[in-house]
Amino acid sequence: MSELPKIKAEEGAVSVPAQQITSCDDVSCELLVDPIPRPTPEPLEVILKPTERRVRFVDHSKPNSIKILRMSQQILRDRGIEVEEEILNKGDASQRMPGELLGLLSREKGLVLCGVSD
Amino acid sequence: MALETLQDIENCMNSGWTDGLPVIPPYGSVVNEMLDATGWRADDVIGEFPEHNVIVRAEQAAATAVMAGCAMEYGSLLRSLTEALLDPKLNICGVEVTTGGASLMVVVSGPVVSQLGFEHGENALGANCRANATVGRFAQMMRLFCGRAGGVLQPHGTIGHPGRISFCVAEHPETEWGAYHTQMGIPEGASAVSVMSTEGPNSCNNHYGDTAAQILDTIGDCMCHYGQTAWYYRSGGFVVVIAPDHMALVSKEFSRDEARAYIYEHARRQTDDLERMGRIAQEPIAFAEVEPGAMRSPLRSADQLTFIECGAAGGRFSAVIPRWVGSTHIMTRQINEKASPSSREAAEGNSK
Repeated sequence: MSELPKIKAEEGAVSVPAQQITSCDDVSCELLVDPIPRPTPEPLEVILKPTERRVRFVDHSKPNSIKILRMSQQILRDRGIEVEEEILNKGDASQRMPGELLGLLSREKGLVLCGVSD
Repeated sequence: MALETLQDIENCMNSGWTDGLPVIPPYGSVVNEMLDATGWRADDVIGEFPEHNVIVRAEQAAATAVMAGCAMEYGSLLRSLTEALLDPKLNICGVEVTTGGASLMVVVSGPVVSQLGFEHGENALGANCRANATVGRFAQMMRLFCGRAGGVLQPHGTIGHPGRISFCVAEHPETEWGAYHTQMGIPEGASAVSVMSTEGPNSCNNHYGDTAAQILDTIGDCMCHYGQTAWYYRSGGFVVVIAPDHMALVSKEFSRDEARAYIYEHARRQTDDLERMGRIAQEPIAFAEVEPGAMRSPLRSADQLTFIECGAAGGRFSAVIPRWVGSTHIMTRQINEKASPSSREAAEGNSK
């Protein structure tokens, strides 16, 4: 019997799944079919450090969320941080963000804060 | 079992090809057999998530079915179920990421229940039966594999519920009010599979009432506790599971439509109480249709309520299953005897 590849998950982390696993016994080898649909290419590049010191809010229309966002705007302004006055609206928290809005936000050079949860 | 197979199971588990439980390794030859059973070709594109750059191919769904432990004879059912799961109206990605405790509940109804050996009597909502357990597990694994496992989505469920491992309910093949799928316009004699996103079931006990109204009022009260998610958005609805002893009382006096109308009319709470309790936003959005002072139903309309008949005789229990508010559709597909491309067209537009 040939040695099977050992793939060890890191402690406390989600492992990067193998693309393919080969199984061999005494008489034959066959591939195991990867069941996981993977993005091609990667759909998003997340930039963790904004290039401009500015904050843009997006509302998810959760209960009381707009009130919380308005308060947050004021707190940030009191601390001297530039905040976009217009709060963009995603419409429905449970649905995917529309591509047009996602495209707009991907061009934002400041920090984007998306929504307030429950 | 050969030790090599145990090692393959370990490799699948260590590679993230799992829902947390051991899986049947998806050997290519076995996956091919499942593809034959479903009538798919390996490269068929059966679903797409354009925003995530993800395409789902038949080979991946067939591998998932093998891994969940599904038998080959489930092929036609699994094909119809997969079409329903990957219909964008179901919002499977929302189920994956929501803070709400949602899972995918599968309902199997019609002659296929007996043909494939689904449990529809004892412990119908959590049956220790291969058909129920593996078909329900397949649906959850599809959610996981199309979601978090591919690396695009992250789950945020606050507490979740056990149905995220497996949640499949089979209806009695013979019913008092007609098969579950007839509520979605599929003919009585057909077999069908439905999928929707739901919270966990609430057991509803009334052993001493002796009228239909007492049973329906008890069910309605179960829908109306303060903690129900439905109070604000009201965009999901409820599934009511009625077991035989309760059904014997209710069906004497009510048709299904009459029971639905009765619960919609009677199961209500005072809006102002809900607001005081913090169950309605201080500045409600228009969509929520909040009317101060009015008696509020957790249903936006009566047709958000559907009924399933299952469970064993010998206990006066029913169950209330709240649907997740972010998924407004029950996706139902008729199961064709022989899997073929025509099943894709089945029951289009029968969502509720």
